[in-house]
Amino acid sequence: MIQALPPEPPAIVAPPPESAATSQQLRVAAALTDARVQVDQSFRGASIVLYGAVFNPTDQPVDVVVVVRGPDAPLRLVKKIRTWGVWLNSRPVLFEGAPGFYMTASTRPLPDIAPFGQLRRLSVGVDHLRINAPEERRSVTRYGVRDVVVSRLGEDYLDWRRAVIRLKEAAQLYRSDPEGVRFVDQGLFRAEVELPATAPTGAYYAEVWVFQDGEAKGVSNLTLTVEKVGLERDIYEFAHRRPWTYGVLTVLLAALMGCAASRLLRRE
Amino acid sequence: MELYLPIAELSVNWPTLVLLGAAVGFVSGLFGIGGGFLMGPFLVFLGIPPTVAVASQASHVVASSTSGVLSYSSRGAVDYRMGGLMALGGVAGAFLGVEFFRYLRLIGQADLVVALSYLLFLGSVGLLMLHESLQQILRRRRGEIPPRKERRRPLWLYGLPWKMRFPRSGLYISAIPPFALGAFVGVLSAIMGVGGGFILVPVMLYVLRMKAGVVVGTSLFQIIITTAVTTVLQAGRNQTVDVVLSTLLLLGGVIGAQYGARWSGRFRAEELRAVLALIILLVGVQMGLELFVRPSDIFALAPGIDR
Repeated sequence: MIQALPPEPPAIVAPPPESAATSQQLRVAAALTDARVQVDQSFRGASIVLYGAVFNPTDQPVDVVVVVRGPDAPLRLVKKIRTWGVWLNSRPVLFEGAPGFYMTASTRPLPDIAPFGQLRRLSVGVDHLRINAPEERRSVTRYGVRDVVVSRLGEDYLDWRRAVIRLKEAAQLYRSDPEGVRFVDQGLFRAEVELPATAPTGAYYAEVWVFQDGEAKGVSNLTLTVEKVGLERDIYEFAHRRPWTYGVLTVLLAALMGCAASRLLRRE
Repeated sequence: MELYLPIAELSVNWPTLVLLGAAVGFVSGLFGIGGGFLMGPFLVFLGIPPTVAVASQASHVVASSTSGVLSYSSRGAVDYRMGGLMALGGVAGAFLGVEFFRYLRLIGQADLVVALSYLLFLGSVGLLMLHESLQQILRRRRGEIPPRKERRRPLWLYGLPWKMRFPRSGLYISAIPPFALGAFVGVLSAIMGVGGGFILVPVMLYVLRMKAGVVVGTSLFQIIITTAVTTVLQAGRNQTVDVVLSTLLLLGGVIGAQYGARWSGRFRAEELRAVLALIILLVGVQMGLELFVRPSDIFALAPGIDR
């Protein structure tokens, strides 16, 4: 009897082949030539090439923006204030979590690619970077020090923010290159990520945005790791895991070299 | 030619650092000083973070002083009793200084205090030395006989309790002044990264009035212990000692000091002192100047954030 029943209709109708639909969408794919940057004794910064492709079924031109963010770290800033003819430091303002490295590379200047609001929402561009700072002014006790101003927002907040970016740009840790993304062939582009020798170690995130008509149409996410290797890593870890032993050994090494020097001196 | 420093976290041109070590070593051999006060400003100028510079050069001072003490010790020119007492004070001072420095970094005033200490101590010591040595040079030019040294010792030093005998220094004085002097230099060594010989030697000579023969050896002995403790404390508390940096400086320093010591015989003592006084004065003024000159950017990143 059961066999007599007509076959049940399938629960889900299989969707039509995907390729037909997605080929109509704007997509981006990207990769890095080097996903691990190794910091050893000869490290002088690194240059990594990011390459990718844009699948653009439409006739409209597209823009590509590459954003690379380094690990966030708290940052303290002081302002020099002239008091009785002497330049003194203000109390430091703590910015909780500014990226240790930030760069954008794009096909055109960012303001030409997308409107302000769009860039701000996506946090794309040095000017739209979120530097986490609490919205109100408050003094807290931190590390046993009283009256640390965690953030001093207000009319001069923008000055402080701009100063963070300016100082980081001077150290080549923040950078925006309006011509950093170049199309080498139809749909194929490349950009260079220049890491200075002072780049912090840790996990980096790269976003490759594709914009069309001032709107973000697609994104590709990549990760990049900057890590110390070899002797550099051993020394750094030793100095941070067993700081006291490290200190004693450093002194012993220095004393030994001093002894050796005096031996040599006496012989001559 | 570039070498990455694991603690300072930047790459440097290593021959420059070896040369700097050699130059400072030469000066220190020539004048018989530690040379930390010269090294610090140059390292900062080369882009090394000041906290790392101060902590790492302390171990350079350990090495150069060790070779010095060994040669003085073989001549019996070290008063271990006096040096030990001063070192005791120095260790206490180093503890205080490292904690004080840590606090200063947290409130963002470390560079101000470093600049002020350089201006104050180097400026005043440089001026005094320059004055004294120029007078001596003038007197010699005019062919005058140097006035008899005043043998009277300051009374206040002798009214203090806990008197101790220091046979090698030829002293019977209270333990308080040497201890206090050691402690003061210990604080300086933590804040400025200097050995403090430029303060120790004049005070031991003119205030404590130790026998001149044992002054330099004893001060070096005290400096070794104080800077060794400072280095360990900086490494343990602040993790700012870069062993690669200090080794590079040492390599040059050891060689430079040899040549400096050989050259020192060619000049008169007071001429050497006048030149040294000028160098000290220049460094002090240079470091202090930044307090008065409008900075190129009125914002600055405060170094030394702790987890």
